[in-house]
Amino acid sequence: MATDGQKKVVVIGGGIAGMEAAAQLARMGYDTTIVEKQARTGGNVANWDHLFPEGRLAGEVVQQLYQKLSPVRIITGSSVKKADMLEGQYILTLADGSVLTTDALVVSTGFRTFDAHRKEEYGYGIYDRVITSADLEGMLNEHQPLFPGRHKGPRRVAFIHCVGSRDEKVGNRYCSKACCAMAVKQASKVKELYPDAEVYCFYMDLRMFDRRYEQMYLDAQAKSGVNFIRGRLSEASEDLQGRLVIKAEDTLMSKPLKMTVDMLVLMVGMEPASGARSVAEMLKIPVGHDGFFNATNELLEANCSGTPGVFLAGTCTGPKTIPETIADARAAATAADAYLRKKS
Amino acid sequence: MFRERFSYDPLVLPFLLGLIFIVTYLALGAIRMIKNLPAEDKIRLGKSFFSKQILLSIREIFNECLLHLRIFKKNPVLGYMHMSIALGWFMMIVLAHVEVKLYAPSRFNLPYYPIFFRYFVRETQETLDGAVFFFLMDFFLLMVLSGVGIAMYKRFNSKATGLRRTTRLKWNDRIALYALWSIFPLRLLAESFTSGISGGSFLTRGFGMVFETFVSNDLHVRPTWWAYSLALGTFFFTLPFSRFMHIPTEMLLILFRNAGIKHRTTGTGIAQTEIYSCSRCGICIDACQMVSAARLENKATVYFIRELREGGRHNAWDMASACLMCRRCVEACPVKIESTLIRSALRQDWKMLRREPLSFLPVNHTGPARVIYFAGCMSHLTPGIEQSMVRIFEKTGTDFTFMDREGGICCGRPMMLAGETRAARELIDRNKKIILHSGADTLVTSCPICYRVFAEEYQLPLKVQHHSQFILQMMEQGKISPEFREGTRVVYHDPCELGRNSGIYEEPRKVIAAMARIEPVAEEREMGLCCGGHVGSISLTHHQRRRIAVQACNILLAPSPDAIVTACPLCKKTLMDATAEVPVVDIAQMVDNPELLRKHPNPVLQ
Ligand SMILES: Cc1cc2nc3c(=O)[nH]c(=O)nc-3n(C[C@H](O)[C@H](O)[C@H](O)COP(=O)(O)OP(=O)(O)OC[C@H]3O[C@@H](n4cnc5c(N)ncnc54)[C@H](O)[C@@H]3O)c2cc1C
Ligand code: SF4
Repeated sequence: MATDGQKKVVVIGGGIAGMEAAAQLARMGYDTTIVEKQARTGGNVANWDHLFPEGRLAGEVVQQLYQKLSPVRIITGSSVKKADMLEGQYILTLADGSVLTTDALVVSTGFRTFDAHRKEEYGYGIYDRVITSADLEGMLNEHQPLFPGRHKGPRRVAFIHCVGSRDEKVGNRYCSKACCAMAVKQASKVKELYPDAEVYCFYMDLRMFDRRYEQMYLDAQAKSGVNFIRGRLSEASEDLQGRLVIKAEDTLMSKPLKMTVDMLVLMVGMEPASGARSVAEMLKIPVGHDGFFNATNELLEANCSGTPGVFLAGTCTGPKTIPETIADARAAATAADAYLRKKS
Repeated sequence: MFRERFSYDPLVLPFLLGLIFIVTYLALGAIRMIKNLPAEDKIRLGKSFFSKQILLSIREIFNECLLHLRIFKKNPVLGYMHMSIALGWFMMIVLAHVEVKLYAPSRFNLPYYPIFFRYFVRETQETLDGAVFFFLMDFFLLMVLSGVGIAMYKRFNSKATGLRRTTRLKWNDRIALYALWSIFPLRLLAESFTSGISGGSFLTRGFGMVFETFVSNDLHVRPTWWAYSLALGTFFFTLPFSRFMHIPTEMLLILFRNAGIKHRTTGTGIAQTEIYSCSRCGICIDACQMVSAARLENKATVYFIRELREGGRHNAWDMASACLMCRRCVEACPVKIESTLIRSALRQDWKMLRREPLSFLPVNHTGPARVIYFAGCMSHLTPGIEQSMVRIFEKTGTDFTFMDREGGICCGRPMMLAGETRAARELIDRNKKIILHSGADTLVTSCPICYRVFAEEYQLPLKVQHHSQFILQMMEQGKISPEFREGTRVVYHDPCELGRNSGIYEEPRKVIAAMARIEPVAEEREMGLCCGGHVGSISLTHHQRRRIAVQACNILLAPSPDAIVTACPLCKKTLMDATAEVPVVDIAQMVDNPELLRKHPNPVLQ
């Protein structure tokens, strides 16, 4: 593939950001390699079912991105262990000991969902009927029954926003951005599957920032009949029948509230990917208090890490939705291109 | 052998006036503090003078005010420093009086005479008595000087004495301090200059001879004795306004305590006496995690007490509200000043919470059963603990009822800590009704915060147990026998409320030791760390609490254990949020599901 004098780029992380950045760089004529630690590319999106806002299938979206990767070398099941700078080039040592040289790097390590065990008061890992939004996506994606072994559907399902986001207590002050819209999408979906069930969303405030999201929300209320309650969950427990009792405060009515539900879905937020810190240390990328990478100028150079030749793409710099991630990945490819041109 | 030269000289005046001032001041102060005691405490105090308590007090005064044994135990260098100055000085005064009694009995009634004895008389050390006195006086002077030397060194280099931080002093303390420091070198100079005339021993005579080689006249004798007297006078005049008030006040405090006088609210004699007994040694600064972790230097107890003494009630309130009430400072304090009680009392004075009637709270009876289990609000936030306890009750065949399964009424302790004693009482009364109605003979709780209020305030006619005690009892009765996990190493985090504040250190350790090896931690038991989550603080921010939690975790993780085990839902939750390296499990969960001890590194930190 590589021709003489062709410049090389390595992309760390083969989620949608890494895939898009790699495709763009390959299109620009660079010898591009993706190093992905999992066995497959696609990142988190590969686990999702229907995507908001229009309900496209996640599998199809990932497939479309994948099709653009034919000129790209993809190394899966591996990661970069060491990076040395030598005469303007990076020498990368991978986990299996093999070595790659490259002229530039795009870091797109993405996010991991918040570990809901840490909010023990919500009972994740303790009560069977408490699941996360990511679990639900997986179940829907794999067409698993949501209530195995039961003839009747659920009587009541509650979705809890901001789990592990906007929560000082777990050390995450930021908003994870995608989960409000995701809750609306998932709540509507559950209502569609179980029309007799009552479905509730407990939110702090609804962040419906995109042009299409507000409509999604209005449809969820008017067409699907999802109920929205402003209030944060304080705790969940199990009653003697094994149903979940949740306690919250309805902050619009200023009343404490207690509700029995058959399933609790926690809208887990985004945290920096596992291993992000060591990547940051290796490549000297500045890291914020929240663990996400910091760009040199978040307004005008949102893809520059400050280390020459190292660029940032996707959710490794903070929560993003898919279109934002894609746009960001392209911007990172452009920034890398500008750098490589100047270098020659 | 000895001849009086004078019996009065104006240079004694600074000393004499200072002495009259300080004696009057202290007498009035003591009367005021005793007057401020509630009537029943006055009676207690009076009675104590005629019982063996007075002997105890005298011994304690000797041990603490002169020998400073408690400081010795905390920090030998500091202990020596305090002891050498206090004991050395005391002995010098005693010896001087003995000397006067022996050699100039007619002058014994002049209060300044023993102090300036060397100036007034010409004595020789030829006689045996003389030599012994001279030697002893020099010996104790040297002892004091060595202490002063350490004190000076410590002021400029606190780490040398094992303190990371030393108290920042205000001007009033500085004047008194410098006066105190100068007393003894001046005494040495003065005595050395007169040693040719009045005699001396190894120290004063030695110095005297050295001085003679280059100063031939005795014109500087009077100025140095003047300076000595002035230093003493200055010290006496500044003492009431400085930290050195602790010296006389501590004696009073010891009398009060041994008479069995307890804290009530601020302004009562005992709280005041404690406030004045603070020597501002600063040992509490290092003990306080608000200082070491959250960098809130000015919140340390020493400054809180100073603020109270100097009338800054507003700042004192600020400091009182931040405190987590973990009591590490009390444990560290050589005077054992119950500063958290002073803080509680202050909080009561402030009444900052809105007081709404609590009549809406239901009284939901449960039972009957032999054991009544109260998980507590904090356990509701860590339902894993409740679930494990329920399983343990079931497994051991315990006839139990779960008092707050569907959510119950708060035990009252957070209200108590916030100074809302009346509201707390209301909660206590309601819960008490439910507990008594259940007919149980044992109350088991998972939360040490609740445990303490049940044990101390409820006055229940039944056994109150923390779940670690209950589990140990079940193990001893053979009802549960968890397996020992070879190769598993854990650390135990003493919850403040269970360990230091309720004295339960061994039961949880015994339970854990049956299942895994317990690694020692740098700060444990009495000096166990606060996790930072304590409901005791009203005003610490989440960020500040977190710093404390991270500090605690770092110390707990030093032996690289497989898990942190604790016995408090709040500690568990707080530590869990601050470390991702190892699992944090409660003792009940560990017994119920030993697999939880398996180390699972959390990927975030990788
Ligand atoms: C439950 C849920 C549902 C969502 N649904 C929608 C939706 O419907 N619509 C929408 O717009 N957005 C949705 N989002 C947001 C969407 O998932 C993200 O925008 C998107 O995944 C971001 O992609 P990324 O490439 O930045 O990160 P990721 O998807 O996290 O990809 C990062 C990749 O990097 C790899 N990696 C990490 N570290 C290393 C390393 N050190 N070495 C090598 N490889 C590494 C990872 O294995 C992963 O493959 C959803 C999010 C959640 C949590
Ligand atoms: S997007 Fe919504 S649910 Fe997610 S963190 Fe922000 S406010 Fe909370």
